[in-house]
Amino acid sequence: MSIIFYDKLVVLTSVDKKIKKLVSSSEERQEMWQMVEEIIHHKVLGCCLDNLPHEHHSEFLDMFHKAPHDQNLLRYLDEKSKKDMKKIIKQEIKDLTKDLLLLNSNKV
Amino acid sequence: MNKTAQNTSFRDLLKLKSIETQKSFKENFPEAHQFLLEKGVELGKIRQHSAKLISAGALTGTLLLSPPTGASSLPTPSDIVHNLSETEGRDANVVPQKEFINSLRNLLPKEVRPLARDEEKRLEIVVKNILDVNAKATLEGEHLNTIYGYIGAEQHLKKYPGDILENHGPYYKEGIAPGLGAWGYFSKSKAETNSFIIETEKWYSVVQTLYLPDWNSRQPYLRDWYKYRKLLIINTVNGNAVITAIADSGPAAWTGKHFGGSPEVMDYLGGSRYKKGPVLVFFVDDPENKIKLGPVDYNDLSGKDLVQI
Repeated sequence: MSIIFYDKLVVLTSVDKKIKKLVSSSEERQEMWQMVEEIIHHKVLGCCLDNLPHEHHSEFLDMFHKAPHDQNLLRYLDEKSKKDMKKIIKQEIKDLTKDLLLLNSNKV
Repeated sequence: MNKTAQNTSFRDLLKLKSIETQKSFKENFPEAHQFLLEKGVELGKIRQHSAKLISAGALTGTLLLSPPTGASSLPTPSDIVHNLSETEGRDANVVPQKEFINSLRNLLPKEVRPLARDEEKRLEIVVKNILDVNAKATLEGEHLNTIYGYIGAEQHLKKYPGDILENHGPYYKEGIAPGLGAWGYFSKSKAETNSFIIETEKWYSVVQTLYLPDWNSRQPYLRDWYKYRKLLIINTVNGNAVITAIADSGPAAWTGKHFGGSPEVMDYLGGSRYKKGPVLVFFVDDPENKIKLGPVDYNDLSGKDLVQI
């Protein structure tokens, strides 16, 4: 069990390295961490709902808000979506990492 | 572009990205947005919401919605004490560290996760008996979101303005953090740097105070309470244990780590190549400030059998 059921799927080490390199104060660093945190939760929950048939949204959200840590949520998603949600969430995070690393690059 | 300009630009773009992502979620899933709003749950702060629920569940014994495998076979505190006293009389040649590793193996779940209060209590007994340290998962009512998690390597922290890496030997490889810890410099100048400060930086640790559910609402009390608070950190794989002082807040939850350790802490816990690993973290109940920071030597063999990984 993690604090959030998808925590183990969400690792953005390179984004953290970039923030640590750019920021010198603890407050600024924490502010940026929180922004990334907000983006992650909206992206991942959006990704879950995107792949979950609409008729299950209400039940899933109810379970999620009552126990965001519960690993059964991942099983529920797999079962109702008939997809490998671990793989899908990991891909979402991979794409997000790329986006965040390119944010202030001229390559965009 | 200089570093400050890069920082501002990245910060602004990150803020914009955050706003756009939230807007897009609201537009694509208006019912979900409305549902969470009605329940008073802010998605950006879901971690704090979850930590609050887990903490309440742990106290009332309803934490584990899906119990971990083997939880029912956990030994009771009296079993542990009984086993320990048997061990004491059984073989004087048994290295305490080996006994400790075995006890941890029996008590800890296979996967790293927040522990229930009864699990924490059992571990406190084992730690007291073998390491002779008054270790507490909850001290003066304060409790971290988890005491069982992954620790990651941190850089040295600047002790005073102008401090450089060369003052932090012999551990140079990790480098020195460009920024300051959550409590700023340890002292105002080099002249004011004493042995307490040197030891505190040397054996510093990092915990996720920023995700505590009541971190913002209980300021400045919590900030003061956590500053340089002594922690016992135990490598659950090899049993190496070290007393540290909290000197920074972090790491970010999305790094897959829950705690951080100075180069010295990490080296003692697992050797020079140790960058991440599972640990137990307890507050040290030391009201008279008698316990020194640094390695906990609890082996009869003067630590020569410490296991390095």
